[in-house]
Amino acid sequence: MRQLIKINCALLLGFILFSCKVEHATPPNEPVKNIAGTWGITDVTRNGTDLTSGFDFSQFRIMFTDTTYTIDSLVPFIVTHNGKWAFNDPQYPFTLIFTPTDSPSVSTPFLFPVANGVRNIVLTFSPGCPSNTYQYTLQKVN
Amino acid sequence: MKKLRLPTGRKAWNWLWKIAATVIIGIVIGCSLTINSVTQPASVSGGSILPITLNATISTNNPQTSALDVAVLVPTIWNASANTTMSFTSSVTTGPQPMTLLPAGSPDPTGGGASWQTDLLNTVGHAGNLIPEYEWIVFQSNTQYAVNGNSTVQVTVNIQINVPTNNVFFNMAYVIAESSDGLHSTDYNDPSTDYYGTFFPGPVRVNGTGTLLDFVNPQLSVVVPGYSTDNDIVTIPFNATVAANGLSQATQVYLCATGYTTTGDSIQICQQTSKTQLQALGAGNWQMDMWPRGFFGLSPGQTLDSMEYYFTDVTGATRVGYGGGSSPFSFTFGCQ
Repeated sequence: MRQLIKINCALLLGFILFSCKVEHATPPNEPVKNIAGTWGITDVTRNGTDLTSGFDFSQFRIMFTDTTYTIDSLVPFIVTHNGKWAFNDPQYPFTLIFTPTDSPSVSTPFLFPVANGVRNIVLTFSPGCPSNTYQYTLQKVN
Repeated sequence: MKKLRLPTGRKAWNWLWKIAATVIIGIVIGCSLTINSVTQPASVSGGSILPITLNATISTNNPQTSALDVAVLVPTIWNASANTTMSFTSSVTTGPQPMTLLPAGSPDPTGGGASWQTDLLNTVGHAGNLIPEYEWIVFQSNTQYAVNGNSTVQVTVNIQINVPTNNVFFNMAYVIAESSDGLHSTDYNDPSTDYYGTFFPGPVRVNGTGTLLDFVNPQLSVVVPGYSTDNDIVTIPFNATVAANGLSQATQVYLCATGYTTTGDSIQICQQTSKTQLQALGAGNWQMDMWPRGFFGLSPGQTLDSMEYYFTDVTGATRVGYGGGSSPFSFTFGCQ
């Protein structure tokens, strides 16, 4: 009987010792934002006033590759020439930096929200007077 | 005749207590912030100080510790956030009390997440100013003040706005509030309008230079934004109902414009096509959103200095310009 108790105690001790395992928690990896593709303008405001229906933005296209951008059919925009682009931080980007081939870099606050299941790029800039702020919302076009 | 007998003794005390309690509750519930008067000049010279004095009364119900908020509606071209100073004196403080501009986006405590500036526009409005180029600026006292319950505080706010040189005619508006209740408190079942005071003293005229930016009187056409370059998108409206003119009954309206470059060249776009057609907004209002660089087809080295324009019917024969006459409207490009 005493032997049986000893065996049970040993088994219980072993169970307690080996039942706990150190958990190596790995923080989730924030995916790199991928903006490669061709984007068109879906919404524009100027100082909060909606301009989308009053001005023809439909022909504007900007195509991003991994490092370069190409603009087609110009409208007032943060840059007027093709060039290179970069994020301030590829993993947690808050700023999109455009570097045209013929002029210095300019940057714009960068938002990358999903609305109605569709990914958007929201850029805020002033192509004319600094007191006039424009917000462009872009969506990918096929 | 039956003699009226007033209750005495215990019965009288019961009645007195009930009446007194009703009166006290009435006083406690009655709380308000009121602007009694505003002193502002009818006109001021451009580039000088616009002095404003605002007299207000604050009646409290319960003891409260709050900061004082004062808001002013101003045209955006004044850049009043950077050109305004404000302070106040009161019956419960000694000497001028400093106030500081609240940054854009500062939340109204009862605004459901809206900023003071946005909430003022949505709740109090824009004083009937016709050109959407206005903003509320909000100042708050640097400290909070403990005020006893059931007390009345007289407040005098001194506001000084350094206005730029532009010709402006603008409807001013003022709001007084406090930092605890904001614009939407309904404490003690009081209406939210008890927790802030408004005052609309009428327009102020800045006698300056350039085209008059008239927010008060309806205009046939005023370019928005008032400060723009040729690389902005400008809105050119046409309100055909403001004055009798040749296009009052028109079913289509077109723009005829001439751009003048900084090198003295002129480029005229005067045609009756989709490029120049204004969009009908109804009720005699028409509008075109235009990117001047694209509209006039400027080359990269060209820059527009100014633009003249008038409106035509579909034939181009009927033309309406400034004041309904034949002289064109004019707009000079530039920033503040």
